[in-house]
Amino acid sequence: MFEQLVGKLPVGIGVVDENFNVIYLNDFFLDRLPYELRQNYKETPVTELFQGEGKFLKRRLKSVFVLQHPSFSYWEQRPHIFPFKSSRPITGEETQMYQNMEILPVKDKATGKKLACIFLQDVTAQASYFRAQQKLSEALKKEHEAQRKLIRKLDTAQSQLIQAEKMASTGQLAAGIAHEINNPIGFVNANLNTLAQYASHLISICDGVYSYLENFNDELREQIEALYQSNHYDLLKDDITELIEESTDGLTRVKDIVENLKNFSLENSEGVQTVDICTVCNQLITLISAQYSVPQYKFDCELEKVEVMGNPGPLKQALMNIMINAAQAIHTKGVVKLSVRDSGDKVTIKILDSGCGIPAQNLKRVFEPFFTTKPEGQGQGLGLSVAYTAIEQHQGKISISSKEAKGTVVEISIPKQPSNASSATSEDLSIPSEALPTDTQHA
Amino acid sequence: MSIVLPLDEEQRDALQELLNISMGQAANSLAQLIETKIDISIPKISAVTPGQLYSLLFETEDSFYTRQSFLGDVHGEVMSVLSRAGLTEVAALMDYDDPLSKEDIQEIILELCNILAGACLAGLSDQLELTTNLNMPTLFQPDKSNFDDLKWQHSLVMEVQFVIAISSFSMRVVFCLDDESLARIKDTLDELLA
Repeated sequence: MFEQLVGKLPVGIGVVDENFNVIYLNDFFLDRLPYELRQNYKETPVTELFQGEGKFLKRRLKSVFVLQHPSFSYWEQRPHIFPFKSSRPITGEETQMYQNMEILPVKDKATGKKLACIFLQDVTAQASYFRAQQKLSEALKKEHEAQRKLIRKLDTAQSQLIQAEKMASTGQLAAGIAHEINNPIGFVNANLNTLAQYASHLISICDGVYSYLENFNDELREQIEALYQSNHYDLLKDDITELIEESTDGLTRVKDIVENLKNFSLENSEGVQTVDICTVCNQLITLISAQYSVPQYKFDCELEKVEVMGNPGPLKQALMNIMINAAQAIHTKGVVKLSVRDSGDKVTIKILDSGCGIPAQNLKRVFEPFFTTKPEGQGQGLGLSVAYTAIEQHQGKISISSKEAKGTVVEISIPKQPSNASSATSEDLSIPSEALPTDTQHA
Repeated sequence: MSIVLPLDEEQRDALQELLNISMGQAANSLAQLIETKIDISIPKISAVTPGQLYSLLFETEDSFYTRQSFLGDVHGEVMSVLSRAGLTEVAALMDYDDPLSKEDIQEIILELCNILAGACLAGLSDQLELTTNLNMPTLFQPDKSNFDDLKWQHSLVMEVQFVIAISSFSMRVVFCLDDESLARIKDTLDELLA
């Protein structure tokens, strides 16, 4: 009865001797043997009957005989020890049977011979279920990752939008102010020039009178000298020129500021044309190295010419502002390096300096209009905002990274051919604020 | 639940000696199979809380962990900690081909644990005249929070370390017994000592 029971058990049971020769196989094994082998399988090595993982099976059997201790094997690590077909040959998706194996040391009671009993379990169903679960969890993980990426993207987009809006409204304001200030500056400048001329005429009259002083009679001469002295003519003569010069200087500075403000709003546009970035960079290096001679300047580009369609004024202004910052960051010794890379449909410009760097807390604000760390009167905090707006309007990107005491890198990438939507004409470029809601224009 | 009584000195010494013998046998078995010399440490016996067990087991990121339960006259679990270092040499000794796949490594780890834990348990049961059956080993990753959630308060642990002389490979085997089994072991030890 037991023999029948063992024969019909839904697990594979096989017994082998120390030479790995088969002594017994139950129906589970026999059903899967080739038909012609079913009658005379006994005394044949198990590894010959079931070819597949022969080496592994031998090793495990050896270990069981040597150690007299059970050995286990799992489908996860070694799925198909015996070359059996799936238990679902018609409908199943698995073609080979997944197996768990256990080998137990046993002893023949009659002869005292050492034997090993192989138990084989068909775990194809569990395995395929497990694998399906794993696939599902992987898919979920991927989806989750994609969503997180999307959220990050949205976050960046939002902050960019906020930044762009800030820039646009400030730009509009700046343009308004610049326009308002420009008129008074115009006549003050003209008047000051005339005033300077008048002053020099007056001085020559006075000097002329003074040189003819000997020709006057004593009474008149004394009266004139007294007049000169009571009005402090010597002081007045020295001071008046200086005062006018200082005012002219001041006015020039005001004009510069207004000019920058106008640049910031990019109202002066020459229209879209082909700009060779290499030429622009070389021009800038010449220009800036004259003013800032401390740093060493390097230019790096594999090509002789890298052309983009753009607005030369704002582009130059943007690069110039960034380069001036780089040059100013170097106090004693260092390098400013410009490199231009052509990557097919866009151009990447890197401005690298080995200067003092930007503290992390300031890094977020460098593109903000009027943000500056320079002493009052030495910077308006417009340089990088101007650059930002200019690059933005060329549909490019500008990013900055910096480490204190190490240096700063500004990376700009602009498309060679801006899409027509916003840059078909120069007018589009010059009036960025039109895209804004109208209420801010009156604000 | 019953309170875990610590073993008295005599019982502890006896158990340590028995462990020493069975561990030696285990090391011998493995040495025979992979044909190399294996050193073992003196077994340590102690009572631990779940938290202590966790810190006993969890060393570094650079280890593999397995567990295996045993049933029979005494119940418990064997946990093993295997070093990642030196595993390739051991694999070569065990007749595995280089390079090892992830599955190969898992299989080697499970087999090593099965051999060593099995041999230790068999030796110990033999000497205490107890019958035990070891179940399949599985890989696991000890997690602190899981250990804190364990239902028991104290457990007897027996710990031994195997070092394979020719490589940097080392492995620790930790036996844990439940309360009932501890009482049974104590009775058996007393019988032996009487």
